[in-house]
Amino acid sequence: MRPVLVIAGVELRRLQRDRSNYFFVLVLPLLLVLVIGAQFSDDSNGRVAVAGGESTLRENLVRALRADDVEVTVASPQTVREKVARGRADVGIIVSPQAARAFATQGDLEFTLIPGVRSDSPALLHRARSVLSRLTVQSGQLAALTDRGMSREAARSALADAAQSLRRPTLEVVDVDESAQEFSGLGQFDVGARGQTLLFVFVTALSGASALIRTRRLGVLSRTLTAPVSARQVFAGQALGRFAVATFQAVYIVLLTAVLFGADWGSPGPVLLVLLLFSAVAAGTSLLIGTVADSDTVASGLGIGLGLVLAALGGGMIPLELFGSTLRSVAHLTPHAWAYDALAQIRGHGAGVLDVLPELAVLAVMALALLSLGTWTLRRSTARGL
Amino acid sequence: MSDGQRSGEDDPARASEGAVLLVEGLVRRFGDLTAVDGVGLRIEAGQTYGLLGPNGAGKTTTISMIAGLLPADAGTISVLGRPMGPREVEVKHHIGLVPQDLAIYPELTARENLAFFGRLQGMRGRQLIERIDEVLDLIALSDRADDATKDYSGGMKRRLNIAVGLIHRPALLILDEPTVGVDPQSRNAILRSVEALSGEGMAVLYTTHYMEEAARLCDRIGIIDSGRIRAEGTRSELITLIGGVDTIRLTGAGPVEESAEALRLLEAVDKVGVEGRCLTLTVHDAPTTVAQVVTTAARTGLALDEVEIVRPDLESVFLHLTGKALRD
Ligand SMILES: Nc1ncnc2c1ncn2[C@@H]1O[C@H](COP(=O)(O)OP(=O)(O)OP(=O)(O)O)[C@@H](O)[C@H]1O
Ligand SMILES: [Mg+2]
Repeated sequence: MRPVLVIAGVELRRLQRDRSNYFFVLVLPLLLVLVIGAQFSDDSNGRVAVAGGESTLRENLVRALRADDVEVTVASPQTVREKVARGRADVGIIVSPQAARAFATQGDLEFTLIPGVRSDSPALLHRARSVLSRLTVQSGQLAALTDRGMSREAARSALADAAQSLRRPTLEVVDVDESAQEFSGLGQFDVGARGQTLLFVFVTALSGASALIRTRRLGVLSRTLTAPVSARQVFAGQALGRFAVATFQAVYIVLLTAVLFGADWGSPGPVLLVLLLFSAVAAGTSLLIGTVADSDTVASGLGIGLGLVLAALGGGMIPLELFGSTLRSVAHLTPHAWAYDALAQIRGHGAGVLDVLPELAVLAVMALALLSLGTWTLRRSTARGL
Repeated sequence: MSDGQRSGEDDPARASEGAVLLVEGLVRRFGDLTAVDGVGLRIEAGQTYGLLGPNGAGKTTTISMIAGLLPADAGTISVLGRPMGPREVEVKHHIGLVPQDLAIYPELTARENLAFFGRLQGMRGRQLIERIDEVLDLIALSDRADDATKDYSGGMKRRLNIAVGLIHRPALLILDEPTVGVDPQSRNAILRSVEALSGEGMAVLYTTHYMEEAARLCDRIGIIDSGRIRAEGTRSELITLIGGVDTIRLTGAGPVEESAEALRLLEAVDKVGVEGRCLTLTVHDAPTTVAQVVTTAARTGLALDEVEIVRPDLESVFLHLTGKALRD
């Protein structure tokens, strides 16, 4: 075991000496997470352009919309119309001076709503309507209370208290579509982050193949084999170094997405186990390429090509849930699909280690097979002599 | 093959007795090419064996098999009496290999490189640290020990390449052309450390195509060409083997032709050639004949300006055996 650790240690130290690796190991995953975040965690519920002179009504309206995660811009009525027409805003609201005055004096409120063309603007329109009616109701309530002799201040605070203790209704949407059911309870973000994390970890691990080729070229690998160590130990040492980096990256991405975007991966123990085994497969594949290919360029081409194809097949780009059944069987030739399934079960159905045992076993077998195959090709690659 | 077996006298244990390395009938083919063709050699503790041969002679291939990197097609290798091959792990403890091409990590320092290979050999702790310092001292790299080796000069890298092979005090040190492309100063340092190591009792297998190095370092020399050992022995044995003849060159003023006549009559002299004021004599053993030659020449009235003795070297041995020059 000791030679394995010694070799893994020296590989990690070499990695650490090359500054550019900090970028690949630390910065690139962060960028990836931000990209995933931008793609999937678009929390904004749409854009509303509001027109109308400075007034309490306008202020309240803007505040209420923003509280609903709606992006709000304020502009002149002309600009608002243009924005909606050009698709720069999804809905336009024009607050007339009369309405502003009526709000202050508790008269009737009238707004002009301009619906946009985007497919989801009806939803936004609905949201805007409910905000407006909430404002109308509030102003009516305020009027009723002051009419009964309450001071305006007391009335306002009483209403605010009432709003605090109110509970908003929870809506449950029931899907009839099968794939929609698989997604249920998941943010878009969770699904996207899962696939892309697998893709990224695999591709960056494969890029490590060229490091092994350099070691072979340096003659250090042959020299290592003249020490009292077996080819299996040498391969395992190299693999362990790669594996440590891949695991680190996977865990790092998972933590970042969880912390920065609140992604929910499910129970940490089983997730870690899946990531460990998936990283082992990635490391094994990388080293296999490193012992078979003879040049850096072949290795990186092969690495990236294989990394992308496997990811595309295995749910790294399009969620597996959307695959047809034939394609799904094909997908399960890739380690990605097995890891994806396991992660989906852990996240979606709260599965524990025992529930995802088949997936874990498949990944473990893949990792062991790659280790054996790699040992054999490594021996072959150094059996050309010095 | 038959030679090796006969010298073993039916008892392999006796044959390897005292030998650190014993190689018999080693063969390795690459496709149609037989790169190593029945090589046999024996090295004892404290002995330095030189494998002298031109490019492509099969030196590195032989070494690769001895170090267990390359399987042999035929023949046997034993180190300290134990069989050696690609699947043997423990025996490798006794072998230190210095490959022809640099094999060190450029990103790491000399100390880290030495520590890595030392640990692979099972060394650790204080023992390892002390040995690293010792080896750094031997190759005169102590002051640069903590710099990344990619910033070293060519000679420094070569010296470190050697140090890595020594770190675990192997019984057998194999050096494959360690001085190629090295400045004279580093080269001298390398040769001196090899001499020191063999003085400490290490068995050394040294390949080179520089005959001066072989002549200076090696107790025994094997001349290898096209995968075969053409001749083997000490330097003077090899020279005698080719019926080594010495040459004495006399330059002087006076009766050149008469002197030549008188010299031809001497028993020790084989041939005399005349060319202007210069006489070229072929003799068996110049050091013992030269006095007689000079006296005879003086007696015939030749006033000598210059006496030059030319003895055959390994280069001429090589030329004689293979019909080609050592260097191309
Ligand atoms: N892996 C290999 N595949 C095919 N041929 C090889 C291989 N290794 C060596 N050879 C051939 O075997 C012959 C001996 O090569 P080797 O490297 O042993 O020579 P050498 O004596 O070390 O030469 P040099 O002084 O140039 O290092 C050469 O003709 C070489 O081309
Ligand atoms: Mg060579």
